[in-house]
Amino acid sequence: MEIFILGFFAIGYLVLAGADIGVGMALPYLGRSGGERREVIAAIAPFFLGNEVWLVATAGVLAGLFPKLEGELLHGNYTVVVTLLLAWVVRDMGLWLRGRVPGPRWAAFWDGAIVAGSWGLALSWGTLLSHVLIGLQGPVALLPALVLAALFLTHGLSFASLRLRGSLRERAAVLAGGAGQAGTYALTAAALVAVGVLAGLRLPLEPGTSGPLLVPVVLTLIPFLVAAQAWVWWTFRHRVSGPSYL
Amino acid sequence: MDIVDLARLQFALTAGAHFLFVALTLGLATLVAVIQTRATFSGDPVHLGMTRFWGQLYIINYAMGIVTGLVMEFQLGLSWSGLTSYAGDVFGAALAIETLVAFFVESTFLGLWIFGWNKLNRWAHLALIWVVTLTAYASAFWIMVANGFLQHPVGYVLDGGRLRLTDFGAMVANPAAQVAFLHVLSGAMVVGGFFVAGVSAYHLSRRTVAQDLFRKSLRIGVGVALPALLVTATFGGMGFETLQPAKAAAWVNDAVQLAAVQAGMAAELGPGDYLPSVGAVRAGGLVMMVLFALMLFVAGPSFLLMLIRPVVRGFRLWHWLLTLMIPVPFVAMLGGWVFREMGRQPWAVYGLLRTSDAMSPVSEGQMLFSLTAFVTVFAVLIAINCWLLARHARRGPGAVALGDRPIEAPVPVPSF
Repeated sequence: MEIFILGFFAIGYLVLAGADIGVGMALPYLGRSGGERREVIAAIAPFFLGNEVWLVATAGVLAGLFPKLEGELLHGNYTVVVTLLLAWVVRDMGLWLRGRVPGPRWAAFWDGAIVAGSWGLALSWGTLLSHVLIGLQGPVALLPALVLAALFLTHGLSFASLRLRGSLRERAAVLAGGAGQAGTYALTAAALVAVGVLAGLRLPLEPGTSGPLLVPVVLTLIPFLVAAQAWVWWTFRHRVSGPSYL
Repeated sequence: MDIVDLARLQFALTAGAHFLFVALTLGLATLVAVIQTRATFSGDPVHLGMTRFWGQLYIINYAMGIVTGLVMEFQLGLSWSGLTSYAGDVFGAALAIETLVAFFVESTFLGLWIFGWNKLNRWAHLALIWVVTLTAYASAFWIMVANGFLQHPVGYVLDGGRLRLTDFGAMVANPAAQVAFLHVLSGAMVVGGFFVAGVSAYHLSRRTVAQDLFRKSLRIGVGVALPALLVTATFGGMGFETLQPAKAAAWVNDAVQLAAVQAGMAAELGPGDYLPSVGAVRAGGLVMMVLFALMLFVAGPSFLLMLIRPVVRGFRLWHWLLTLMIPVPFVAMLGGWVFREMGRQPWAVYGLLRTSDAMSPVSEGQMLFSLTAFVTVFAVLIAINCWLLARHARRGPGAVALGDRPIEAPVPVPSF
């Protein structure tokens, strides 16, 4: 049951926040002007806080249920995890700060931070997961990392095509082939789930001793957490019709 | 500096930065929730304006709290895996509950509160800010349970070289956690109260057009700061009864007492240096207490002055004093934190695991890389965010972006 809980949050993160990462990577392609970029960001704005927190929960579950693995996984991939965190911080700050001061140069600078941070996140995840999945480290790991980054990018584009309108939507749908937009999203999501499951199978998932106490607590919480998230998705289920707060 | 010092410095800088932003988050969230409650009941445009103005500052601050918090959470596994593998089965449970009960819900609902402005039913919107506030408290509570365990371990057994949780209730009821939580929470109200009072006083001294808004805000700020100061001091005093012997001896700087603690621990645990830095403990504690006296000296008379409307409008010297006081509770917070955390050294888990044994097996190069990178990025971001906080605070309620856009969706199209 410990493994199910860890997988639930980790895979939830990859699918949900993976779309935010992909949209950030594709930001210069999707939004050609400042106004367009703001509208593209509105596609992920209401969700990104609630999506990235799935990774916070994953780290919490690791700390509580798999404390030994947490240490081995994080310090064993020290540089990659530090890079991942830095990219995460830079991406988030780009999102928060781009609208704080009026003027195109300020917004363009922080848009750059969003793009750099999103690519940094995708490549760090790619590097970390390829280390776990196929044991590759060093420069050669960049190849599988790029493949995974491309997966995030495609996932983000398919999500954007579901959220945006008009020409922005057409740009986002460039890769959607015969499967249609929802179908593409389902495909990329399934691919990310597969990556998460395979990575989990490769990890030494040996729970600590707090399971008997913690597992029932977490299992009780999960329906409430899912309901809270569902409220967000329901509230913002419509296509983006203009800029948001960010 | 050896690698343990570097790792400690990295954690201390992250946690210290996080603590400052979080203190303001806890205090300001409470005040925003109270103000929004009044606004929702009264429908008064002044109250609505107050909610948006203070809410905007709250969000700017929150964003910085979240990114420093992320880095702190991951640092436990990155740099301190000796601690997590030894004691993670016990205090990791508190961290796990914190992320799920508090952080997860807080982030989800905060997003809904920000982006759902003018979109959700106003009562639902009000409920959101209260959930966000209460989960922020819950977050502080579970973090203090984890920290309290490290300060004063209870409810565990040592089993095969690792700690195992035997009594969850004892860990939660740990006085080293409970008293400290209430001390930190009321301290955060002091931070929030002085912040709101100081910013309001700045605008009143500038003869702002939004005089009603800032007059009411100033009263809320001072009205919260004074009682919160007294509550903080009460729990701080109670906290002295939960001090470890070594911290207590360092605080009074009594050579006989220090020698007795050292001899006692050496007899029990073998030779070693078991005393914290007397200078750091005393400096932290003194900063906290001197600034408490200063805050009380300002908040007491302010509480009386704020009852007289012409004074609230026109007493500029007092306005300037209140504005200058904004940083003081932050510094007091840091002082108290240094007192608490330096005072438990050399232990990561008091009496059980030394800080030097809690490190991950990482290289000095890796540690220098992360320390340099985090310090650089955070220094820049903290400077920018403090500048933005000041800028948005100075510009007043006319320039607030939060909640100013009516819904502009003529025909919404479902996207999924």
